Amino acid sequence: MDSAILRIEHLTKVYPDGTRALDDVSFEVARGEFLVIIGLSGSGKSTLLRCINRLIEPTGGAVAFRGRDVVAASRHELREIRREIGMVFQQFNLVRRASVLTNVLTGRLGYVPPPWALANYFPPALVDRAFGSLERVGIPDKAYARADTLSGGQQQRVGIARALMQDPALILADEPVASLDPAMSHSVLRYIEELNRTDGITVICSLHFLSLARRYGTRILALKAGRIVFDGLPAEIDERRFKDIYGEEAVEVEIS
Amino acid sequence: MTPSAARARGGPAGAVASAPGGLRRRRGAVWYRSWRLYAGAAVAVAVYVYGWQVTQIRLGELWRGAYLIAPFASALASPDVFVRDNPTVRAAAPFYYGGESPPAAPAAPGPALRLSRAAGAIGDRVTATGAGFPPDRSGVLWWENQIGQRQRLAAVTTDRAGRFSATFTAPEVQGTHNLVSVEIVTGAGPLRLSPTFFVVLSRMVETVFLALMGTTMGVVFAVPCSFLGAKNLTGHIPGGRGVYALTRTVFNITRSIEALVLAIIFTVWVGLGPFAGVLALGVHSIASLGKLYSEAIESIETGPIEAIVATGASTLQVVRYGVVPQIVPQFIAFTIYRWDINVRFSTVIGFVGGGGIGFVLQQYINLLQWRQAATALWMIAIVVAALDYASAVVRERVV
Repeated sequence: MDSAILRIEHLTKVYPDGTRALDDVSFEVARGEFLVIIGLSGSGKSTLLRCINRLIEPTGGAVAFRGRDVVAASRHELREIRREIGMVFQQFNLVRRASVLTNVLTGRLGYVPPPWALANYFPPALVDRAFGSLERVGIPDKAYARADTLSGGQQQRVGIARALMQDPALILADEPVASLDPAMSHSVLRYIEELNRTDGITVICSLHFLSLARRYGTRILALKAGRIVFDGLPAEIDERRFKDIYGEEAVEVEIS
Repeated sequence: MTPSAARARGGPAGAVASAPGGLRRRRGAVWYRSWRLYAGAAVAVAVYVYGWQVTQIRLGELWRGAYLIAPFASALASPDVFVRDNPTVRAAAPFYYGGESPPAAPAAPGPALRLSRAAGAIGDRVTATGAGFPPDRSGVLWWENQIGQRQRLAAVTTDRAGRFSATFTAPEVQGTHNLVSVEIVTGAGPLRLSPTFFVVLSRMVETVFLALMGTTMGVVFAVPCSFLGAKNLTGHIPGGRGVYALTRTVFNITRSIEALVLAIIFTVWVGLGPFAGVLALGVHSIASLGKLYSEAIESIETGPIEAIVATGASTLQVVRYGVVPQIVPQFIAFTIYRWDINVRFSTVIGFVGGGGIGFVLQQYINLLQWRQAATALWMIAIVVAALDYASAVVRERVV
């Protein structure tokens, strides 16, 4: 098996209204990387992440996850691929009215027989595992609280616990801290970093702040108008490259 | 604000703003100089003057007509809920109209009623005397006509010797063979619930179930229809816009017909009785619930669904864990709310023959049986308030 967990070739996405969100994007992600994707709003970060697990259908190009063709996968194969890819969202995307525990358990749906859903049944071992996931993100005491009673940072930790339930090889994080304050941002990113370092889960994470990207990324990929304009180490982004990515008028903002 | 103050404030602001013209015009716009204000006030006055006339508001009637409603007001304070079966002693004597004389009654021991005359004409003054009754008790002197209908003549009280005497005017009745009777109450029986209470209770139960069946009918049809009336679902299927528009139009037209009107139509169709009421409430509930359900489906968040799809869940699992938790609590809350409305509404549906407590309430009012009507009203008030409270508690828990 080669070291690349994800291989993307000539990926293109054109929306029905003609917007070219991704334009011939190609890159590889090695196992264990913490790849940060940066770029302006509308540069195609979210579209790229969603094309990887086909929440958005790509218009052209190829996505290979662990050697399997994602774009050509049947519905069944796609489910198998998706359950190995955890996803964390900017708006957390928890079911508000459901308990934290149920939200975490939904992370495992790809592995349980669908008819169990009718009886809302999860085996006790899975429930234990869900508590384990919640413990890893530091909120086991919130298991029976309704998801919408939690603070933003806590909700995002539930989102991470949900992704953790999938036992994922890859986590896609779409602006995971854009709805959080700076202190919470670091807390949440540290949990993701921990999964990356300790569990060896590959992470692809889009971020707004370059300072956060430098701090957590092992590699940075910059998008501009759907094209890759930078692909390299965090230290390689200097003033010139920064202006290439964000435009001439941009000024870097520090987030501590 | 004085004009000078306005000028002082407008001056520097006008110097800074890029469009001082706007400020200059505003300076004159003191509220009492606006012609729109006076035009608006004139229109409002005209509207209310006409409204006062067209709705024939005569506040004096509230005062002049008060005596008409007074019996009902006092009946509200003493609804027909409890009765006492008091033991009585009864005696009677005949009184004939039309020249005929009644046969002489054989003398018997015990209480006896004697009339000053046994035959006569309407309007005669007659004295009734009684003897042999228990002492110091009160009772009522009744006039019973040929078919047993009776009316009250006088209240009587026995003296220490067990006698009484009362004079009355022979009333105007149909038939000639009348009977004057007296009932002296000799003791106090136990309190028990009145027959009216049981009639009203059984009709109230009928009312609640009428509402339940109507609501159920509404839910059964509204749930599937509501998916057709949700824009976010129909938008994805071919011809969905048309289905959506058609569903919503049907909902809106049906909802705009009052359930009372529907009840009249259904009584013509299926006959008088609760079934017509069930159909009327059901049809109205389909439209109302359908609209509420559709809006609940439209307000669904796509984020959680996307997240669950991303875990590799199947369609069934996505519906169970992404869609159902978002809509079912709202569906339940709307349904309870609708049932609540339907109970309230089914109390009047009987007025047009749709069954339920409204039917007996209308009868009582038409027969001027105020105490019985009061019983029905209290029953409605208590049951509706209790269900209102219960539904509020349940809804709070669900949502």
